[in-house]
Amino acid sequence: MCALLAQDISVFYPGQPEPALSQVNLSLGEASLTVALGPSGCGKTTLLNVLAGFIAPSQGRVTLDGQPVTGPGADRAVVFQHDALLPWLNVRDNVAFGLQLQGVGRAERQRRADDMLALVGLDAVAKQKIWALSGGMRQRVGIARALTSPSQVLLMDEPFGALDAFTREQMQVLLLKVWQHTGRRIFLITHDIEEALFLATELVLMSPGPGRIVERIHPPFSQRYRAGESVRQIKSDPAFIALREQLLSTLYRHRLSPEELAP
Amino acid sequence: MTALDPALPAATARLTATARWQLTRHPLWLGLISAGSGLLLWWALASSGLVASLFLPPPQAVLAKLYLAATQGFMDATLWQHLTASLGRIGLALLAATVLGIPLGLLMGTRPLVRGLLDPLIEGYRPVPPLAYLPLIVIWCGIGELSKVLLIFLAMLAPIIMATTHGVSRASQSRIRAAQSLGASPRQVLYRVILPTALPDILTGLRIGLGAGWSTLVAAELVAATQGLGFMVQSAAQFLVTDMVLAGIAVIGGIAFVLELGLRALQRRLCPWHGQQD
Repeated sequence: MCALLAQDISVFYPGQPEPALSQVNLSLGEASLTVALGPSGCGKTTLLNVLAGFIAPSQGRVTLDGQPVTGPGADRAVVFQHDALLPWLNVRDNVAFGLQLQGVGRAERQRRADDMLALVGLDAVAKQKIWALSGGMRQRVGIARALTSPSQVLLMDEPFGALDAFTREQMQVLLLKVWQHTGRRIFLITHDIEEALFLATELVLMSPGPGRIVERIHPPFSQRYRAGESVRQIKSDPAFIALREQLLSTLYRHRLSPEELAP
Repeated sequence: MTALDPALPAATARLTATARWQLTRHPLWLGLISAGSGLLLWWALASSGLVASLFLPPPQAVLAKLYLAATQGFMDATLWQHLTASLGRIGLALLAATVLGIPLGLLMGTRPLVRGLLDPLIEGYRPVPPLAYLPLIVIWCGIGELSKVLLIFLAMLAPIIMATTHGVSRASQSRIRAAQSLGASPRQVLYRVILPTALPDILTGLRIGLGAGWSTLVAAELVAATQGLGFMVQSAAQFLVTDMVLAGIAVIGGIAFVLELGLRALQRRLCPWHGQQD
């Protein structure tokens, strides 16, 4: 039984000659961490928006546990790159916002928010203002907030795209910990090849013009991290580097248009 | 990942303290110098005999007139009666402009249809000086209280609507979508996300509106008024009681200043995040 299933998704934007997304199939399996990797314009953001229900596909359908997805909802939590938190609420109330919308009582939602804050390592700043936090800490608040939802699916829209390299790696490690701890099915989009390789159990490589999936691989590295290897050890492993170069050359091959390839 | 930088909250507190010092204490100190020298220059000029007191009465004469107006009154009404008449008009107009302007601004910010319909109307009347359409209002609504309040109300309405609409546009797509994916209904998105996001701009709109209202007050009280600060200044000018003119101006300025400070304090208290993000 598959929770979130996208079948033959195509998206046409008015006035654009080529579809933003063409014939995409995707299923988020049990305890999977699916990463869509590709350059800008490859349709990865469109794909996430379709899965989240923010935009309707022109063709194809998305189902969640067999039910068609018709709009955004609490059964698919989303983490954004930035600017999705509410500055008038403190850290804990931001995390509890979804629970408050659902009408969960104050004591109960504070307890659950505190649990999630502890999971992402922010229990010490529960009463801080959002705008007093660094970018990395804000993203952790966003993740904790998404985790309060009972949803088994977590969609992440370039969540670490605005962070510096060091913080970004810390967040990748944190995400693996959260994933392992909560067993959520995660769909994450990124343009960072190393991030995609390190995190993904399934990696879909996307290419623009029209936006489509050009390759699917199943990197072993997040499993190796769970088995106890260190981040630096994994990312400097010849197998990791070889796969990175292979993905890059595939990307370059697909970015060349037929005309450019002809002569 | 649990190891947090323990210096972070302290560093943030230090940063905000520095910013506050730069924002408030510094200009206050400079402001006192310039206001003090202005007052001193006024006093020196007026008491030197170089300028006739008809044109520039000394500060102490203005103070004395103010005391006289407060105790015995001017033009058949005490200073307090002039004051309450003006404040009543301003308050009533502000109430009406707020009650109508904020919902209209929210509607215009969230519905392109409403915005498309109302934008030309507001942009059409907003640049016209209130004095220009005052005669029309008098023809339509007479010379009673209604015309005066209506004029001030119209001057306040446009800035409040425009600031609210602008505030709504600050609610980013990801902020709204994040709330939707947490299960927020359209109503919850409006009241829990869009309205609080727009609040700092709404308060700025009220400040600008109040300023516009004060500047329209004198014009509004030109027409068949028997009480009011604007009327007081106007009639004092007709009888060349320059010190009373200055006293009236000082009272209007002082009240506007206090109201502005109050609204700024309210803004800081309600929206401490304003101007802090990124």
